[in-house]
Amino acid sequence: MANETIVEVRNLTTHYGEALVLDGVSMEVRRGEIVVILGGSGCGKSTLLKHMIGLLRPTSGEILLWGQDIARMDEDQLRPMLTRVGISFQSGGLFNSMTVGENVALPIKEKNPDIDRETLDMLVRIKLGLVGLSAAVNKTPGELSGGMKKRAGVARALALDPEILFLDEPSAGLDPIMAAGLDQLILNLRHLLGITVVVVTHELDSIKEIADTAVMLDKGRVIFNGRLDEALESDHPRVSQFFQRKPDAHIAPRNA
Amino acid sequence: MSDAAAAKEMIRVEGDLTDQTGREMFAAAQGCIRRKACEITVDLSSVKNMDSLGGAWLGRLMANARLKKVNVEISGATGQAAELLDMLAPTLSAEPAPGTRRIGLFEDIGGTFLNALSEAREAFELVIEAVYWAVIGPLTGKGLRIENTLDEMHEMGVRAVGIVCLINFLLGLIIAMLSIAQVEPFGLGIYVATVVVIGFARELGAVMTAVVVSARSGAAIAAEMATMVVQEEIDSLRGMGLNPARFLVAPKLVAMIAVMPCLTVLAMFSGVAGGTLVGVVLLKISTNLWLQQTQTYLKAGDIAQGLIKCVVFAFVITLVGCHNGLRVKGGARGVGLATTRSVVMDIFFIIVADMIFAILFYFVFK
Repeated sequence: MANETIVEVRNLTTHYGEALVLDGVSMEVRRGEIVVILGGSGCGKSTLLKHMIGLLRPTSGEILLWGQDIARMDEDQLRPMLTRVGISFQSGGLFNSMTVGENVALPIKEKNPDIDRETLDMLVRIKLGLVGLSAAVNKTPGELSGGMKKRAGVARALALDPEILFLDEPSAGLDPIMAAGLDQLILNLRHLLGITVVVVTHELDSIKEIADTAVMLDKGRVIFNGRLDEALESDHPRVSQFFQRKPDAHIAPRNA
Repeated sequence: MSDAAAAKEMIRVEGDLTDQTGREMFAAAQGCIRRKACEITVDLSSVKNMDSLGGAWLGRLMANARLKKVNVEISGATGQAAELLDMLAPTLSAEPAPGTRRIGLFEDIGGTFLNALSEAREAFELVIEAVYWAVIGPLTGKGLRIENTLDEMHEMGVRAVGIVCLINFLLGLIIAMLSIAQVEPFGLGIYVATVVVIGFARELGAVMTAVVVSARSGAAIAAEMATMVVQEEIDSLRGMGLNPARFLVAPKLVAMIAVMPCLTVLAMFSGVAGGTLVGVVLLKISTNLWLQQTQTYLKAGDIAQGLIKCVVFAFVITLVGCHNGLRVKGGARGVGLATTRSVVMDIFFIIVADMIFAILFYFVFK
């Protein structure tokens, strides 16, 4: 079971209008693994992530979640799959008109309509406790700092005890202490709850801390896919440039 | 009561701590907690895994026990469950976060009053700044953003021509029909021409145009400004040393003041056209006769009344929109509320201003 493949992307190609964004991407995620999708800005990382949860439809290729191709599913078939998945977006994606607690409670109440109030409250506190935010339960997202919003987003992603967690840039824009805390949280979640995690990021420190497997994209293609230590040793020019933080000769528009 | 040893209660959870086993554990503890005089030990030694719902039941048990001052001890947890409990310990033993404080009556009244006061001050400042940058600034050589102003005129004015004309034409039909039904029995049908033209020149042209424009452009202004506040665009303007009143409000104000009289004149023509159509068809009078009657009783002063009003309405619509947009709080919902509030305030102030004009024109400037 340990090596069971949860997500498999096969030869994924997608366009935004005319522009080619992903060009024949293939990768897989195994149970209990932390996979980091990395690459420079605008290389298609977030697009790949959105394909894996069925928000975007590819031009061609397959996306298998637990062996089922979600690229060809309609909404009704997709919905039960998504309750097994937790997602946290770049800016948190919290509903501004609700408190943090209500944000976390929303998916729980939708899935278990007859849960009693006290259990729900306690469950929400536990989810927020996991990310260290239990004191913020009655605040609105507007009253939170950027880092707190991200953690609240993660708490909401954890609401339904997902088997796999997708995080888009969880530590971007956070101070190093907070970012390290979030890395620790990701490792804990994997260790304690057995959650598989797919993280999109370009924070080097974070990648080195948490990644088992790294998938590096450049201009919509996979240029590296393997274990983290191999990535650090790689002599692919683009990969080593990334890990050694060398600038381009001149900052060229990558999507041109 | 004195038998302390017997008051110890052991609750053993078999298998994993999940929703099902958690619920049973919680139920088993209730009796002891109700009696108060006992200690509970939750034995988790056979628990290998727990999930968060199981944790929630444990948390409820502990919260209930704390309320009744009953001691709870958790023992025997191993492996994943132990580590998870360790991580959750601060949450499980914490008091619930304080809810929002209730606000008393007097605090509420005072707060409302202070809010209104500060809003009035903000509005006053905005009016001063907007007038300065829209009127005095350009006159003293501190340029207006001409291109932007022309854009706004196109959006607020040219694109509103169709709907303004249509609505006033229809209203002209309605007014003429209503009036003819009333006066025709007395043979005064021809005077409906006068009623329609005076009505549209003095009142309806300006007011109907203002209502249409506040629904179109007033809402757009509020939503645009509010979104700019939410996305920190206003802050970045200020950060670049650019005054939002000069950069955003003044072009809108100038554009609105320029297009409202044009739209109002079109509205007057459309209304009269509607009235003429009804008059000619229903009364079977020649078009010439109707138009002659229209012209005879119309004075320049009547049109001037409409035009003066519509300039004031232009001020109201732009500044109410900007004011509400700039005061937005919160995200998407705040933008919606600001837009709604802006249109409601527009219509209210338009009617209030119209009433003041009616009094002035009746008693003062006959």
